[in-house]
Amino acid sequence: MTRLKLYTAIYVVLFVSATVQVLVEQAGMAYWTALGIIMVLSFAKAVVVAGYYQHLRWEPRSVTTLVAMGLLAALALTVAATYSIT
Amino acid sequence: MSGDETSPDESVEADGGVAGEAVHEDHEFPPKSSVKRWFVTTNHKDVGMLYLVTSLLFLVMGGVLALLMRTQLWVPRAPGTGPLSAFAYNQAVSVHGLVMVFWFLSPFAFGFANYVVPLQIGAKDLAFPRLNALSYWFYLASGILLGVSFFQGGSFAGGWTMYAPLSLPRFVPSIGGNSAILALLLFVVSVTVGSVNFLTTIHRMRADGLTLRRLPLFTWTILLTVWMMLFAFAALLAALLILSADRLLGTTYFAAEAANGALLWTHLFWFFGHPEVYIVFFPALGVMAETFQTFTGRRIVGRKWFIAAMVLVALQSFVVWMHHMFLTSINLEIKTLFMVTTIGISLPFDLMVFSLIYTMVKGRIRFTTPFLFSFGGLLLFIVGGITGVFLGAVVLDYEFRGTYWVVAHFHYVMVAGVAALIGGLYYWYPKMTGRMYDEFLGKLHFAVFFVGFNLLYFPMFVAWETPRRDFAYDPGMTTWHQLATVGGFVFGLSFLIMVYNMVVSAYAGEPADDNPWEYASTAEWAVPSPPPLENFPGVPSYGGGRLQFLGGDSETDATESDAADSVADGGSPDGVADGAGTAEVVGGEVATPHRRAQEETHDPAPSHASIWPFGVGVAAFLALFGLSGFQNGQFASGAMGTVYAASTGVGLLGVLATLVAMARERFHGPSGPFGESWPFGGVGNVKTGVWIFLASDVVLFGAFIGAYVFLRFSTGWVAWEPIPENVTPGLVNTYLLLTSSFAVVLALEAAEREHRWGVVASLGTTLVLGLGFLGNKAIEWNHLFHEGVWLSSNVRASTFFLTTGLHAAHVITGLLIAAYMLPRAWRGAYLGDSAPIEHFGLYWHFVDIVWLFLFPLFYIL
Repeated sequence: MTRLKLYTAIYVVLFVSATVQVLVEQAGMAYWTALGIIMVLSFAKAVVVAGYYQHLRWEPRSVTTLVAMGLLAALALTVAATYSIT
Repeated sequence: MSGDETSPDESVEADGGVAGEAVHEDHEFPPKSSVKRWFVTTNHKDVGMLYLVTSLLFLVMGGVLALLMRTQLWVPRAPGTGPLSAFAYNQAVSVHGLVMVFWFLSPFAFGFANYVVPLQIGAKDLAFPRLNALSYWFYLASGILLGVSFFQGGSFAGGWTMYAPLSLPRFVPSIGGNSAILALLLFVVSVTVGSVNFLTTIHRMRADGLTLRRLPLFTWTILLTVWMMLFAFAALLAALLILSADRLLGTTYFAAEAANGALLWTHLFWFFGHPEVYIVFFPALGVMAETFQTFTGRRIVGRKWFIAAMVLVALQSFVVWMHHMFLTSINLEIKTLFMVTTIGISLPFDLMVFSLIYTMVKGRIRFTTPFLFSFGGLLLFIVGGITGVFLGAVVLDYEFRGTYWVVAHFHYVMVAGVAALIGGLYYWYPKMTGRMYDEFLGKLHFAVFFVGFNLLYFPMFVAWETPRRDFAYDPGMTTWHQLATVGGFVFGLSFLIMVYNMVVSAYAGEPADDNPWEYASTAEWAVPSPPPLENFPGVPSYGGGRLQFLGGDSETDATESDAADSVADGGSPDGVADGAGTAEVVGGEVATPHRRAQEETHDPAPSHASIWPFGVGVAAFLALFGLSGFQNGQFASGAMGTVYAASTGVGLLGVLATLVAMARERFHGPSGPFGESWPFGGVGNVKTGVWIFLASDVVLFGAFIGAYVFLRFSTGWVAWEPIPENVTPGLVNTYLLLTSSFAVVLALEAAEREHRWGVVASLGTTLVLGLGFLGNKAIEWNHLFHEGVWLSSNVRASTFFLTTGLHAAHVITGLLIAAYMLPRAWRGAYLGDSAPIEHFGLYWHFVDIVWLFLFPLFYIL
């Protein structure tokens, strides 16, 4: 039952943080500050979903590494390509 | 998710592949002489043979196109003169490149990978035999579609690199151009399915004691190849999906008007394209390593450093792609950085080349046909590698880019790979056919091949100033081009010697022993030639320090070696596997206590036949053939338009129906426990496969998001407003997806507690919420369309509709799976086995995660 409670709490946190992302944008902050907060929230939510709903926390570390490799490849492409723009 | 490809109970004692072919005749598995067998087979050796034969047919196709080009180039000609029209020449150049790189080279290598890798690692088959057959049928279907494209107003004519904006309908307007790109798309799907399968197999299904350190070098090269494939082809998939959308739906990613649209294509294409060089070369390197060891009688010098160098190349291959772009508008800093990484990648290759050379020095060489081809391949690779260094230097590349220097260089590299793989064909020919080829004809083939190749390509270095992809050239270089043309025909004709030798020897060659090569020591040589259906006469194990086949009372040694690593990794001459221990082989059928035990306990015998992979392949062909007739968001009017529309509809329904039939089919794949499973021990084959697929999907979506970020930066980040003016529909959809994810979590919990109605209610909730997500999106899109915002309105709209559309396609796929599972849950299917719900959940949560990024990027920021 403890595990189900944990999953439910996570659901509530995810639900609220999605709302917070919209509120941050409407709070009148500087654009890049708001962008930073919103993207950090997205990454945090992704980590929580992957870690708990997809059980990565309880899988061998190699599965996390596998996904991280894909993420690293995508980030390398995005960052290097964008940096290359003159 | 897709039937029980793997036995649900992987903890059941393995049967070790002891069942002979006779058992399967009861399960309607036809003999090799039956045509039906080749449509239904899922056995890795059969699929390997299919890959080999089919890829050689595509070699003929690509070769004929090349000879047409060389004929046109006999003298410099004005446009419209000579055997080929200007358009026909451009098609020949483009499709030759596409066919040779995609439809010949990799599939040829994967013919060997299919046949040999399970034997080398001690597995009865690949982890997912039906998916393996599906990979093949997708491959064949895609190749046929490429051939059909010539008859649809002309095939693709924009070069194999498909550079934008030349790849768009404005410049290549034919429907055949669409077909060629859709064919490549299907090929990429085939590769992705294959990558997941091979990665799961090699990581999870190695024999006991066969650690990665001891893995044979050919299997090592395939392992690294499929890792590169998994990520590189995902980027190509993104590029091709976007290009298809630009051509069929009218999005404007690569349009000349978009800021940096053409540059975006080069990034996406070469992020795939440079690892692709090693993807096609690594299997050839594996063949070189195996044949050098066998025919020098010497374990490869510096084996662990050789492996380390290959791992390093596989990693570095993802950080060198911009050396293909030195003549684009990328900045000087990034050019310099990528020049450094490019020169850096030559270092591990140097190590590998010297390792091979030193192995020859330390061993005693036997100049058999396989060795000659491998050695010839090494020589060609050295020339190709040295001439490539010129292109890695920014300043020199300014001069050489777009000339025949590049053409000669990459053919030396690519055909070095072909040469070694041809060596592999001769090397494993006796294993596959049970007969020896004619050695004299083999050597003659090598001589004509080697002379013809160098006569074809070396003159191109001399005539390097010839512009690439152009049939007009300086008349002063005519002699060099005529030499090249003569060389081209000599090179092409050399393959006739090979085909004659292979066909005649298959019937009249001398019967081959289990191991016809002295000093060959990997596990495929410890079983009969050709191997029995399930490969081994027991459970292969290296646990006792040497290769053994464990099978109750008749445990037998397969080798005379004292050291486990010497038999596992193709090591010392002493480690020769002679196959003497293949116990109790009677009349070609293996009978061991394991087999008898299997029959007594009524364990299901592994399945080897399914018609559904072929069915899915046919349906996919019809769907993509139909879609090729879809341009600017609609099918053409008239009879052909109707044919295309009907083909699309029938094809899509066919794909759905055949996939469902495949999922419902009773099919028993390889069951565990398997020996070595690092680093995925305890994860299970299907779950490992799902995770590997999701990792490639991360790159697919990453490339889409990367394309969005790139275009937004190019246009001006802050000035780029989100397309939806109202954030609410996006927020509501976020709530819906999050809730649906939570519902899947509840479904898994209910299944684990064996609460049937809980499972049904939770899956039903997921389905309803997913449909709600799609309905909400439909309303939102409809509203935008009414406001005049369409996919082709501008690049902002294109990125919005296409990226969220790709996500919606994932949602639809997930809902189809949920809809399939719901009635099964109703019947209590998941109460004893919650794994399918967990696997579905992994996918569904991933779709949720993607939305967590798309929502802020496309609605808020």
